Amino acid sequence: MANEKLSGLLERNIEKITETWMQAVRNDARIDSDEALSRYELRDHVPAIMEEICELLRANEIPDPTNTLEGRVKVYLRFQQGYRGRELAREVSLLRMIMLDFLVDHCADPSMQVSLKGYYSSSRIINLYMDEILINAISAYSEAV
Amino acid sequence: MFTQDDFEQLIKNYNEDLLYLLIRASEQSYECLISSFMMLKDLYNAIIKFQASGKFMFRILPYPLSFRANDDLLRTMGFNEEGIRNIYGFLEFVKQTQGKEFEECLEDSVYNLCKRTPGDQPWRMKS
Repeated sequence: MANEKLSGLLERNIEKITETWMQAVRNDARIDSDEALSRYELRDHVPAIMEEICELLRANEIPDPTNTLEGRVKVYLRFQQGYRGRELAREVSLLRMIMLDFLVDHCADPSMQVSLKGYYSSSRIINLYMDEILINAISAYSEAV
Repeated sequence: MFTQDDFEQLIKNYNEDLLYLLIRASEQSYECLISSFMMLKDLYNAIIKFQASGKFMFRILPYPLSFRANDDLLRTMGFNEEGIRNIYGFLEFVKQTQGKEFEECLEDSVYNLCKRTPGDQPWRMKS
């Protein structure tokens, strides 16, 4: 129930969260590879990733290698764009934190009526999704020739 | 025994097949394309499950199986603007003929496919 509510909240704010994330990436001194990317290339697949996360939240489904397809697109593209692995990890970390911060800010509002348990359930799915991206990235960066 | 070489051959075949299907979509050859994508999705899932088992490595990266608003991905695969437009046109075609999104169709039964319009009867074997 909470997952469905938070999924709707995220879905309505995909653009806002994407903008916040893009700003955070541009401002992060530890990420250089983004300089060569246009605004469109940087934005990349983030809205699609969030849509997929929202679907998983609605279905209360645990992320695994077969239902995190949009995250795989991100890894594939960043790898092809010459991004360094650690910078991709940093991008994913920023997205994770921005999404979780966004949720906690809203869950702190009593009118949302989301318990800590409800927040935890959603944050767990988001965290596992981001972990799947990182697992795939480690494979791509360490194994691909 | 299934070896790393076999795994890589499987990825190469999958990459070729996906590219072929996308070329068909880019040339507006949409007929029954979705059932082919459905079968390819099963192969893609098998590949990533093999890899997730920890027994095989991704020395060759499989193309990701998604079209969701990704011009960059399609460009890296060699498609021009017209081809990309036609590939997105395929997504529209699926919505019109199947009455639902491409991703939803991939989860559905293959028997519900190959309809020209949402009201048509699904294809069945003659009994």
